[in-house]
Amino acid sequence: MRRNIRPRTVRAIALPALATALTVGLAACGGSSGPGSGGKTITTWMYPVIADEAKNKEYWAGLTDAFAKANPGYKVKVETYPWANRDTALATAIAANKGPDVVYLVPDQLPKYQRSLVPADEYMPAADKADYRKAALDSVSVDGKPMATPLLMSANPLICDKRVFAAIGESTYPSTWDDLLNLAPRLKDKGYQATSYSGDTQQTLNLTWYPMLWQAGGEVFAADGKSVAFNSEAGVKALSYLRTLVDKGYTDKDQVTTTPKLEQTPVAKGKVACTWQNTPADVEKFWGKENAVVMPPLKDVKSAGYGTVGSFAMLKGANKDAAGKWISFVAKPENSLALVKSNGYFPARTSAADPYPGNALQAEVAKTLDVMSAGPLKEKSRDVMGVLAPEIQAALIGNKSPKDALNDAAKAANALLAR
Amino acid sequence: MAAVAEQPRRLRRRGPHARREARIGLLFVLPAFVLFVLFRFGPSIAGVLLGFTDYSLMDSPKFTGLDNFTRLWDDPVFWSSLKVTVLYTVITVPGTIIAALGLALLTRRAFRGSKLFRSIFFLPVVTSLVLASTVFIWIFSTDGPWSTVMSLVGGHTGSWLADDVFVVPALAIVGIWSRFGYGMLILLASLQNVPRELEEAALTDGAGPWQRFRHIIAPSLKPALFFLAVIETTASFQVFDAVYVMTGGGPANASYTLVFQLYDAGFKYFDLGYASAIGLALFVLTLIVAIIQRLVIGKEK
Repeated sequence: MRRNIRPRTVRAIALPALATALTVGLAACGGSSGPGSGGKTITTWMYPVIADEAKNKEYWAGLTDAFAKANPGYKVKVETYPWANRDTALATAIAANKGPDVVYLVPDQLPKYQRSLVPADEYMPAADKADYRKAALDSVSVDGKPMATPLLMSANPLICDKRVFAAIGESTYPSTWDDLLNLAPRLKDKGYQATSYSGDTQQTLNLTWYPMLWQAGGEVFAADGKSVAFNSEAGVKALSYLRTLVDKGYTDKDQVTTTPKLEQTPVAKGKVACTWQNTPADVEKFWGKENAVVMPPLKDVKSAGYGTVGSFAMLKGANKDAAGKWISFVAKPENSLALVKSNGYFPARTSAADPYPGNALQAEVAKTLDVMSAGPLKEKSRDVMGVLAPEIQAALIGNKSPKDALNDAAKAANALLAR
Repeated sequence: MAAVAEQPRRLRRRGPHARREARIGLLFVLPAFVLFVLFRFGPSIAGVLLGFTDYSLMDSPKFTGLDNFTRLWDDPVFWSSLKVTVLYTVITVPGTIIAALGLALLTRRAFRGSKLFRSIFFLPVVTSLVLASTVFIWIFSTDGPWSTVMSLVGGHTGSWLADDVFVVPALAIVGIWSRFGYGMLILLASLQNVPRELEEAALTDGAGPWQRFRHIIAPSLKPALFFLAVIETTASFQVFDAVYVMTGGGPANASYTLVFQLYDAGFKYFDLGYASAIGLALFVLTLIVAIIQRLVIGKEK
């Protein structure tokens, strides 16, 4: 009896055991080699800067082939990931030592990854470095050291809708806070809003409130970076100004708390006079190119605005020579041109040819590139925004005075910085 | 007591053949069990342990004892998000169950179009909450239908999403809308077990609809209601998607929930230790509520 059962028993045990072994084996060996391989294959993580999938694929295939031809023996693998949750994916991959060699980052991300990055100074050719716009290099520098190689720049100047100004019979566009505030009642009478402010806490303050703080002459952090300075007089002035705009209905109240799709916003519907939270590329499909007027960022004591940089950063463990060559190759103006033109961006290098010859609108935006800032690059920049943004909302919906809101935020932010 | 004492004796009586069969059975369960341990149980334990460390993903975790928990205790944002989460749950769970029960009772008997109604009511469950939330942003906007109706009936004017008192009820409405269909389905299945003869007998005896519901239908729905209460409470404690899309936690943290705080701590600030501590607090809270629910509703089972 026993003898008869045994082969069946063996089979019965062997099958699930094999399945278990396979399961464990598969679970254990997932993922790619990642940095630290130090080999001649350079893994690059990219995001859909070029939104069209086919064009994106074609662009990178062209570049990787050209690079492999110019550098025999090196192979580049470009993987395009979705924008959503990119920090989660990247940070997790780095923690598991399965991160890429090269990754596309914006300045806001740099401080968080600083310890995992190879400073760009260590591989950027001196001639290239001298060719960058100062604003571009500053935007990728943490503690004075460039941490990545800029590929493109963007600018959010003040953009005004010509049709709205025509409707109130006005031909001068605002340059200062007072100009805008003086126009606002006339605009409101005709059913228009002076500007649009997105107070959603998930929106980066670099784009929304910090430009106003800078324009009032304030700074987010104190010079030593150990405490915050946004609750200064300039800060209170900036927030009070914004609250006046909200209270008097000169900007859409709903957007203080929610972010509708762009096409559902008053900006897209042609109901807003001027905005600094959209680029000409965003609005021209709603307004028509001929109706967008580009002005320098607004000014209270100085003109300042937000502009960001798209860059390639090298992760520690990569083959520095190979990855450095690849980054410098992509950063050549002729190679990054398609990335630059994908969304109306601008080259980060001064030697680059004008990507938009004959386009007066883009020429105006390009003039503002040097007064733009990507925001403070401190390790806790995002954490500070996390406590400040809700307090700004509290002031805007009238729960707190601007001064109290900023002081409460400063108290929480300083506690964060002290930890 | 007798049943408990009988159990081991029965096991002892099992022959070697039965034991071998049991072992083989266990082996078949093994792949699923290993996957469960690897991807569910393991990470959960790791999550608990991380709560006692300082971990930013870029360095190895540093043991910090109870630091994260004392920080949590002193964090006003934690208490405010706890309050928001509890308030959301207190509105959503009864709301969902009442809506589910009402619609299940209305559509339980076959009538012309009953299947269509059931399908329509179930539709929100399979609709992407993120997409639906985008539509709800418009519905609740100052010029949207909800605000218009509210101002016509003399209620709150302006967008509920921009008001720190009305924002949680607004999100709860979206929560109820997205969940009641699931509850309705569970209750419909449970209603099939209510003996028809009993209801008919009660009807003959002159029992009204409320009496029939109270004495015949409700008792047999109790296990399903308990199940729903636990499931809905757990889901409500974990509310995130709709809040993320609709309000971003605002205005002024008035809709900032525990899971939102966990998400921000973990994936925005990379403060994984603190995020795990929040997760652990959420787990304990859910467990306590589930135990209370068991004591109150589900004590017979």
